[in-house]
Amino acid sequence: MRFSRVRALIYKEWREILRDRLYRLMTFGVPVLTFIVLGYGVSMDVERIPFAVLDEDQSALSREYLHRFLDSRYFDFQGIAPDARTLDALLADSRIRFALIIPPRFQRDLLAGRSVAVQSLIDGIFPYRAQVNKGYVSAINAHFSTWLLENYLMERGFSQEAARRTIQPVRLETRALYNQAVRSRWSMGSGLIMLVLMFSPPFLTALGIVREKEQGSIYNIYASPVSAGEFLLGKLLPYVFLSCINVFLLWILATGLFGAPFKGDPVFFLGASLLFIICTTGIGLLISLLARTQAAAAILAMVLTFIPAILYSGLLVPVESMDAATRFQAQLFPAFYYLQIVWGTFLKGLGGSVLWDKVLILGFYALIVWLIGLYSFHKRPKR
Amino acid sequence: MIGAGLRWLDRLIAMTGKEFKQLFRDPILLAVLFYFFSADIYLAANGIHMDLRQAPLMVLDRDQSATSRELIQRFRMPYFDLRGELFDAHQAQALLDRGAVLAVLSIPPRFQRDLQAGLSVSVQFRVDASNAILGTLAISYAEEILARFRQEQALDRLGAGIQLQAVPRIEDRHRVYYNPNQNNPWFMSISELLTITTMLSLMLPAAAAVREKERGTIEQLIVTPLSPLQILLPKILSMGVVIVSGVAASLFLVIKPAFQLPIRGSLALFFLVTALYVFATAGLGLFIASLSRTFGQVVMLVILLMMPLLLLSGAWTPPEAMPEFLRRAMIFSPLAHYIELAYGILLKGAGLAVLWDSLLGLILLGSLLFSFGLWHFRRQFD
Repeated sequence: MRFSRVRALIYKEWREILRDRLYRLMTFGVPVLTFIVLGYGVSMDVERIPFAVLDEDQSALSREYLHRFLDSRYFDFQGIAPDARTLDALLADSRIRFALIIPPRFQRDLLAGRSVAVQSLIDGIFPYRAQVNKGYVSAINAHFSTWLLENYLMERGFSQEAARRTIQPVRLETRALYNQAVRSRWSMGSGLIMLVLMFSPPFLTALGIVREKEQGSIYNIYASPVSAGEFLLGKLLPYVFLSCINVFLLWILATGLFGAPFKGDPVFFLGASLLFIICTTGIGLLISLLARTQAAAAILAMVLTFIPAILYSGLLVPVESMDAATRFQAQLFPAFYYLQIVWGTFLKGLGGSVLWDKVLILGFYALIVWLIGLYSFHKRPKR
Repeated sequence: MIGAGLRWLDRLIAMTGKEFKQLFRDPILLAVLFYFFSADIYLAANGIHMDLRQAPLMVLDRDQSATSRELIQRFRMPYFDLRGELFDAHQAQALLDRGAVLAVLSIPPRFQRDLQAGLSVSVQFRVDASNAILGTLAISYAEEILARFRQEQALDRLGAGIQLQAVPRIEDRHRVYYNPNQNNPWFMSISELLTITTMLSLMLPAAAAVREKERGTIEQLIVTPLSPLQILLPKILSMGVVIVSGVAASLFLVIKPAFQLPIRGSLALFFLVTALYVFATAGLGLFIASLSRTFGQVVMLVILLMMPLLLLSGAWTPPEAMPEFLRRAMIFSPLAHYIELAYGILLKGAGLAVLWDSLLGLILLGSLLFSFGLWHFRRQFD
């Protein structure tokens, strides 16, 4: 292996990237653009749900109750409806996602010490949103009930202290570790680094190699003294290098734009990221062995990297809730391990002492992928 | 005059026939179409859940009493998967760090005794929120479980014989419309169908147009008496027919039998709207085709355009979770209108009286995109 040849190939690759408008965009624009678009787009923090109310009681207490919803940042008040039919129409039109019906005699029954059923109508088109919406409503109802009961008991001679103890025998102290406010922007902002590094290096490397096959310029390489190893190294190193720059850029965006904290060891994170990039560049090499045209390479890269990164990494769909076969499949992709390293270093503040097994798996993965790639790439293509 | 119109139509039909022939002679493309409209939709609808199921949970029970065990056993399937007991807090922290468990429930010593003595007790629930979706759901379910437990304990304290109805409190009565059991495949199958329709409407007409460029046959077409519109419209027509038939097949042969999707609205309206959307998106596809020289470039540009289009239109994430300015900008996305129309017709059973505004938006955006794509592609002929 001669380094001067590798250097010449790296220079050639670099010129090619810079000279083609589309490849320039793919290399420099797409990773960062994807990151920003997805970081804003993939958010599950459901807030400001538009809702309307039918208040059949129109009492002081019903207004007090309604205010609990008006003051919540989770709901966005759209107005009072005159009747239930209007609520149905508003729901059908998606102008509101949730409607509250306060029944007549709301105040009278509650003051008389009877429970009141309050109906909430929830748009179930998006099941996750419906579940979160239900949770918000139940929380407000529970708060209001506690307040009602406390007053009720105090009127019956309980001290405030005793009333509170009676109503609240058990409290649940929830601690959201690593992400105290449970912001999906923190999870996504850091987790998306995985997504970008999973799809962008394979895309670029596969297209880089297949382009030469498709245009026939690979025959120049076949006829030259450059060895297969030198060719691949010259081809892949620029993309590894560019992806390393991307890691820095994405890191700055994740912490700066999306406000995710970085609590762990930066050297460890960079080392693990480099290993992951080597892994995914190797996947690009394998794709280039399978595909003859750039279109086929792009589709293959999409199927083998982008889709697993979204569906099987744990970024959106929890791996724990998959069935056994799907979970096994998820563990076959390096994205699953690297995502744990990303979240571990960013949010949990962990280092190599806990995450070493994931790094080991990535290293092993990289080794296998590259060995298969080097072994199967021949300068003399079999017919 | 009539003769000229007929000749125009005759040429259009001949060219459309040519496009169909080309498509049906491409077995790989047909296989891809078949995969997307059948297996892909089935897998996505069946496999993608954004809910909490069998989340690994461990408990640190310092009380070991009947009451503590009663509380613990309420954290169970399908939401939580109780993986066993822990004996010290360090161990809990280590497991959470490694991601081996999602949550740890800690019950303090003297839990039962304090409860019976009428004191206020706290139970701790520590959740790994590095994945915010899981964190949100786990906390939401834990609160729900504890609220029920708390209520029973409070009633015990108020004394025997007191009924739940006999105290002033609000009873939750939730009714979930359109998908009462929050059946995830109903949502995912339609969402995936819309995603695929978008992808194919961008890709197929663009591919058909770029293929002529790639093979040089566009030069032959230019010297024929055909006008640019007569060359392009057949491509969009034929691919549109294929895509709409694919949607129909997928809806009736996959989604309906496999997931018992109720179709509540007018099917004629749904297919009309789908055809409109396919045309609108095909216009965008032509724009892509005019920028590309090869099919490879078409595929790359389609992938680039798809991501923001899907994510910022509410196909995968609820619009209520987007920043305010993006929520407002959604009216410029044809997909956002199509999503509203498709769910509106299929699941809500809504008609034109309700959906006219989305339809109007789709028509306006569609004609704009379509004429833009056509204009941009025609420029190359001059």
